[in-house]
Amino acid sequence: MSAIELSDIVKRWGETTAVDNVSFKIEDGDFVVLLGPSGCGKSTTLRMIAGLEDVTAGTMKLNGVDMTNVAPSKRRISMVFQSYALFPHLSVEENILFGLKVRKIPRDERATRLDKVAELVGLSTLLDRKPSQLSGGQRQRVALARAVIAENKICLMDEPLSNLDAKLRQDMRFEIRALQERLNMTVVYVTHDQAEAMSMADKVILMREGRIEQEGTPDELYNRPATVFAASFIGTPPMNLINTTTHDGAFVIEGENQTQVLETSLSEVLIGIRPEHISITDDQGIQAQLLSADYQGADTIVNGLIGTQKVLIRTPGRVAINKPLHARLSWNKDNVHVFKADTGARTELINAVSV
Amino acid sequence: MTRKMTRYSLKSQATGWLLLMPAAVFLIAFTYYPTIATLAKSFFSQGTALRPSQFVGLENYASLLDDEVFWKVARNNIIYAGITIPISIALALLMAIWVNGRLPLRSLTRISYFTPTILPMIAVANIWLFFYTPEIGLLDQTLRGAGFNGHNWLGDPNTVLGCIIVVTIWKESGFFMIFYLAALQSLPPELEEAAKLEGASRWTYFRRVMFPLLMPTTLFVMINAVINSFKLVDHLFILTKGGPDNSSSLLLYYIYEVAFSFLDQAYASTLTVILLGALAAIAIAQFVFIDKKVHYQ
Amino acid sequence: MRSNFKPKLLKLAIAGAFSLGLASSALAVDLTMYYPVAVGGPLTKIVDGMVSEFEKQNPDIHVKAIYAGNYNDARIKSLAALKSGKPAQTAVMFSIDIYELIEQGAIVAFDDVVETVEEKAWLKSFYPALMENGKTQGKTWGIPFQRSTIVMYYNKDAFRKAGLDPEKPPATWDELVSMGQKLTQKTGGKVDQWGAMIPSTGYPYWMFGALSMQNDQTLMNGDGNKTNFDAPATVAALQFWKDLGSKHKIMPSGTIEWGTLRQNFLAGKTAIMWHSTGNLTVVKKKAKFDFGVAMLPANKRRGTPTGGGNFYIFKKSTPEERKASMKLIRFLTDPERTAEWSMKTGYLATSAGAYGTAKLKQYVKDFPPAAVARDQLKFATAELSTYQTGRIRKLLDDAIQSVLTGAKSPAEALTGAQKKAERLLKRYR
Repeated sequence: MSAIELSDIVKRWGETTAVDNVSFKIEDGDFVVLLGPSGCGKSTTLRMIAGLEDVTAGTMKLNGVDMTNVAPSKRRISMVFQSYALFPHLSVEENILFGLKVRKIPRDERATRLDKVAELVGLSTLLDRKPSQLSGGQRQRVALARAVIAENKICLMDEPLSNLDAKLRQDMRFEIRALQERLNMTVVYVTHDQAEAMSMADKVILMREGRIEQEGTPDELYNRPATVFAASFIGTPPMNLINTTTHDGAFVIEGENQTQVLETSLSEVLIGIRPEHISITDDQGIQAQLLSADYQGADTIVNGLIGTQKVLIRTPGRVAINKPLHARLSWNKDNVHVFKADTGARTELINAVSV
Repeated sequence: MTRKMTRYSLKSQATGWLLLMPAAVFLIAFTYYPTIATLAKSFFSQGTALRPSQFVGLENYASLLDDEVFWKVARNNIIYAGITIPISIALALLMAIWVNGRLPLRSLTRISYFTPTILPMIAVANIWLFFYTPEIGLLDQTLRGAGFNGHNWLGDPNTVLGCIIVVTIWKESGFFMIFYLAALQSLPPELEEAAKLEGASRWTYFRRVMFPLLMPTTLFVMINAVINSFKLVDHLFILTKGGPDNSSSLLLYYIYEVAFSFLDQAYASTLTVILLGALAAIAIAQFVFIDKKVHYQ
Repeated sequence: MRSNFKPKLLKLAIAGAFSLGLASSALAVDLTMYYPVAVGGPLTKIVDGMVSEFEKQNPDIHVKAIYAGNYNDARIKSLAALKSGKPAQTAVMFSIDIYELIEQGAIVAFDDVVETVEEKAWLKSFYPALMENGKTQGKTWGIPFQRSTIVMYYNKDAFRKAGLDPEKPPATWDELVSMGQKLTQKTGGKVDQWGAMIPSTGYPYWMFGALSMQNDQTLMNGDGNKTNFDAPATVAALQFWKDLGSKHKIMPSGTIEWGTLRQNFLAGKTAIMWHSTGNLTVVKKKAKFDFGVAMLPANKRRGTPTGGGNFYIFKKSTPEERKASMKLIRFLTDPERTAEWSMKTGYLATSAGAYGTAKLKQYVKDFPPAAVARDQLKFATAELSTYQTGRIRKLLDDAIQSVLTGAKSPAEALTGAQKKAERLLKRYR
């Protein structure tokens, strides 16, 4: 029995279909990230789980019970909003206790829980303040505290970190994850930031245009992207997707026409190689031109060209390229992903060649 | 060094005063001077060609205490304010919440609620005059259709003030609705969603979140409503002329009568001073007592 | 040298012009006249037309005729103009404003302006009843212009339906009650048609002036410094008015709205209404039934107050301006003009001479209701007008309304009003 189970969920607004036949299961205690570009239906899916949007078709079960048409307040779900949705006229304490008061939890218990939660998120000294007197990070904590104090098993988070600066966002990722583990909550977390998804999720559900593109652990998404979209969405910089062609019976990169990169080819295919899996060599490998370099500190992203195809190469240390220069690139065939050009789907039937 | 500073500050002071001039001139000419002149006039008798005006001290105020009409009109105005203010505000809020939600023909509904506000009060009064007219009025015809006897709505001292109050509420609540609607639309929808998830009913959300957040609007609307309840008398000219027997007369209408029908500007000034005093007291009370409880975003 | 030369030349030229063509007249006079419009219709056009005709005949007088709103506005504007630097010389104002204007020292008596025998005769050419509101302290201060009385409009069809002779409208109070009871139509408990309606908002004191006069009692004395509100006949008149609603049940109880009464009559909701002659033209146009106009009924006698506006001349004027004003007023009130004015507006023609003109004779012949107001004039009296007239009027209005709405008894209300009126008027005796 899964904590959350969606079966063939559809959401339509008039002619537009926002969520199209989405099904997935989330197990108890999992941290699941709904990932995708804006407009992919991830927030709508989350809001349907919360009950804030009606479901057009399909069923949603919580712990095996059909909750598709149950009022939000009866679902025992907490939620953290992107805007935090703090009540501006109430103090931090009143904000955190809002739900408990509504649900008529006795005063003693409220006080105990408040102490605990305030401690947990580090708000103990700020309880009398109004939200407007808090920093962004502190407001985020209040929102978390409000979600946590209800002691609901399921907590939904809708882009909770997108309003914070980069540094704070890093810290909060760890804190949220730690909190989730400590309280053993089931979290569904919506974000468009693949790095956030990779670093926090037990499982990532990648969505695109209302459908699930790929579902799996961060590892699986990174190492075995199911589609061209998944491949290009995960990882910074994204995976290189290179057009191949046939030249004199050999399967080569478009415009390069010399080096065999695939053993066989059934139809038009793309090969995908992550920038970190390409190395710059002196004497062996495929001919390439290096155009510019983007120094990142620990490594450098080099802009290159194989034939007509643009590639990015991640190389350790600092590399400076003042004017275009010729070089050779090499990669291991195990790091090459092959996709069909027409559908964008991954194929295992075609083997790559190391260069 | 010091001399230089003095000269500099003098110059900048002059600039400041010059910049204040236009506003100050208008304020003095149209607000302060008339107020002070009114106050001064209330201590003099009304002059005519045969009897020049003379200082009479508090005589005008003493005759005010004996003036039955004044007391009746003051009582009317308190009832009028006491009913129109809360009801028109409550209705405005209700309508705003109603048209803020999803409903078919929303903009049409909004416009129809707002229409009374655009109409001049004189036109409104003319419309309502034909609602209230005995025998041929809409109200009486409806009643008759339902098998009841007609009623002389504006001719009966027991119903006339109520009729006036209904017109005012009808006219005002649409206006106040606009302010509430604007305030409601600035409330983030997540607040309601968050409250919903926490288990709050619509009523709890209204009471604990929406209403407190609308307080600045409510305060604004309330001050307007109070001022209007003393200021808005246009409809009396058309509907009742304050009658029968002053049953629907309000303070400002009475002041108008005294000033322009009785040509007694001294006594009209006295009444005006009382009205100004009452309004000032109410406004101060509102700011002092309610403002503390208002959350401004 | 040069600076002296030009004005001299100008003076010479002006003198020359006068010696040539306009030798007989003095310098050209500019007049400003305020006038109100209290009833509907294109009255401003009619006034402008008459004024331009006057200017044509009197090229040395320029008249600026300014429409000033209703009677109240006209008075306020005229008085304000007096205080400012640009006063008017003459105005049409409410006939009952006379005491207020005298007290303000605003107007002159016509007796002090007329000189010739002809002018003195002109002063006596108007119906005496219409002069009452213009005279006090033995002098004439106002000349009747746009004047009206109250008449009784009745629905002849309703009379026929009730089995009454449509040519015999009620002539006495008793007939009013007995016919009214026949005219009051009910289905079940609901009244479909009332016998009569007398308006009691707007100008209740005016309607009451008729009732009290019919009871042979005026509401005030000729000097405007004493009211007769508590006279037994006055109290009895108010009792009668009250009884029409509460005892005889031929009229709705409570107050009856002045503004919508005409619609009630036209809609057949009342068989009889008392209203100003000013409504005659509109009722004639809009009535879908056969209607008649009659004099108000009598108790001890017939009676109605007059109403409307008089010409006044302001004190703040030069002798030349007063003369010119006189000329203008005489022009506008001569029989021919008066006849025309009456036919176009429905107002009374103010002099017997006007009714003697050929065109008005013909008009009255074609439309007999137009003569009712004139014939009633011999029973007419002054409209309530005193010093402190606004306050006094309001005292009576409030008393009447408090009786009609059942809050007070006639004696109680009128004694109270009289007491307050005494306090206000004592110092004018």
